[in-house]
Amino acid sequence: MNFRFSPEEEGFRREVRTFLADWAGLDGFFTQGHRWSEVHDLFRAMGTRGWLSLTWPEALGGLGRPLTYEYLLWDEVGYARTARNPLSAGIVARTLVRHGSDAQRERFLPGIRSGEIHFSLGYSEPEAGSDLAALRTRAERRGDAYVVTGQKCWQSYAGDMDYLWLLARTGAPDSRSAGLSLFIVELDAPGVTVGRLPIVDDHPLYEIHLDGVVVSEDRRVGPEDGAWALMSEALADERHIQFPPGRLRRDLEEVWAFLCEQGLERDAEVRSTVADLGVRVLEAEMHALRVLDAMLRGHDAASAAAANKVVFTVTCQAIARAAVDLCGPEALVQGTRPELLWRQSLWETIGGGTSEIMRSVVARADLGLGGQR
Amino acid sequence: MDFEPDAEQTEIQQAIDALLERHAGPARAIQLAAHAGYDQPLEDALHEAGFLGLATAGAGPLEAGLLVESAARAGAVASVAAAALVAPGLEWASLPRPIALADASEAGPVRFAAHARTLLLRDGDQALAMRLAEGDAAPVRSEYGYPMGALPTRSLDGEPLAAGSGATLLRWWRVALALEIAGTCDGALAITTAYLKDRRQFGRAIGSFQAVQHRLAECAIAIEGVRWLAREAAYHGAPDEAAAVSAAEAARVAQLVFAETHQLSGAIGYTREHDLHVFSMRLQTLRLELGGVGAHRRAVATSRFGAGAARG
Repeated sequence: MNFRFSPEEEGFRREVRTFLADWAGLDGFFTQGHRWSEVHDLFRAMGTRGWLSLTWPEALGGLGRPLTYEYLLWDEVGYARTARNPLSAGIVARTLVRHGSDAQRERFLPGIRSGEIHFSLGYSEPEAGSDLAALRTRAERRGDAYVVTGQKCWQSYAGDMDYLWLLARTGAPDSRSAGLSLFIVELDAPGVTVGRLPIVDDHPLYEIHLDGVVVSEDRRVGPEDGAWALMSEALADERHIQFPPGRLRRDLEEVWAFLCEQGLERDAEVRSTVADLGVRVLEAEMHALRVLDAMLRGHDAASAAAANKVVFTVTCQAIARAAVDLCGPEALVQGTRPELLWRQSLWETIGGGTSEIMRSVVARADLGLGGQR
Repeated sequence: MDFEPDAEQTEIQQAIDALLERHAGPARAIQLAAHAGYDQPLEDALHEAGFLGLATAGAGPLEAGLLVESAARAGAVASVAAAALVAPGLEWASLPRPIALADASEAGPVRFAAHARTLLLRDGDQALAMRLAEGDAAPVRSEYGYPMGALPTRSLDGEPLAAGSGATLLRWWRVALALEIAGTCDGALAITTAYLKDRRQFGRAIGSFQAVQHRLAECAIAIEGVRWLAREAAYHGAPDEAAAVSAAEAARVAQLVFAETHQLSGAIGYTREHDLHVFSMRLQTLRLELGGVGAHRRAVATSRFGAGAARG
């Protein structure tokens, strides 16, 4: 047991910080929807350094580094608020590395590695949120192609992306998780309509209608009806970078700065509240490290990741709420950081699996409490 | 970064668990509680096995911390934290045992004082080791899990450490407290989890109800947070802020686990025939020690933002 990163790892963290200093004003974590061309440039610059393929095998153009490097990278990016980790270099690349055909790897991996091409996640549907296996979008086989019809929703940034990483039903309507396949679909293909879904923060969410979209067979990733295992595997591969504690450190710093601006820095209640939030941030970091540690040794990190998500997201909301509770309506004026954090953090306990789903995972996996879900 | 015990730590942990299995446990705690007794044989066994010297001899404070956590998990009625972690933190070896910890600014009863032969006292920025004779600290009745004693009223001979040692004592005490809370919460959680799997109502195990599962999951998550914050603080030598952070989170979680394990255990948890009370009632004593969550949070604030003249 030890609680230090190696000198090489610390060195990498410093290198990332130095790099990010040049992007300090970007605030892409919150503004990617309005400033895509700058965020896109950032990803290209990261790609040049090999940072979008840190852990890929060297044979596929990656740096072959341990997962710790990805953790450190996205922790620092989270703190700097420069961007969110792109889906392309995450779920998409990991799945293609493991299960893509040679042609698919050659076609997509170089562009992903260089930060050029980007994907939107096509999983959720109006009737399939937490219960993803209920999804209805159909991909009907027609010769050597599929015809896809259905509706997807809650897609982040889809208006700026190049491709949809689509999960669709190829099996019988009641086949649940055993009848799903993965596809790569151009977002400007005939039959694809991308519409903005107005939400309470500035994060751009979209809904996507697929109306008789023709997708050739060579754009299917992995076996027909075999997507579920690939998806689970890819989600598992990303757990160490999903909830970077750096984001929480920065949230708290900004809320503390706001409270100081309001002249509250010597108020006993304010200090006690902020101290407690500081404790929670460190707690979230320990949970994130538990996830990383489990993954580094090849263990199933599902329950550690579920715990991490609950602590991270609840803390995220608590930090934002503190500013509102302690400052009152002043903190709700549009344009202040606490105001944006308060609206944005509302999403955190919902997106990527609700807190209720996460607690059920912990109850089942850690406590062995089974029975009805 | 490595959260897995290495070979040596695994061996130490197994040896500790084997000893605690023989000498401690809820039944032993209940037996001792009947007459507010102290488990001298257990403490002596830990000493003879060399575990109380883990922090200095060969291993380190993290390993001593694992002992503190394990002893609490086994419901030990002995002042393990003071002997294994706090006294070595002050580089004060071979004080007469048992050792009780006290803070001169706290008026309340002191854990283990009635049985202690040394009182490790924090008096402002100084730490003192005071010899206690039998009867110096009068027993104080308490239903909250530990034999308690009053601070002696007569002046005691004390051996002072240098200025600044008071802060050192406080730092290690906070880490020890957090580890004790982690272990004690483990005990309460394990008993509650087992009960929820076993107890059937409405034709099914009550642990199969989601409303129940989520509350217990929340406890399990919080306990892991405390555990790793406390272990990390021990590993780094109990730095000011990390020590206060781990104690603050531990004190918060102690109340959560106390309330939730009792509520979820229903009527059986309220009886003394069920072991939950051995662990749960202790959480009240532990969470209030050293001024409780408010004092720990003030310490976090001071270490982050500097001393603040409180307003409002």
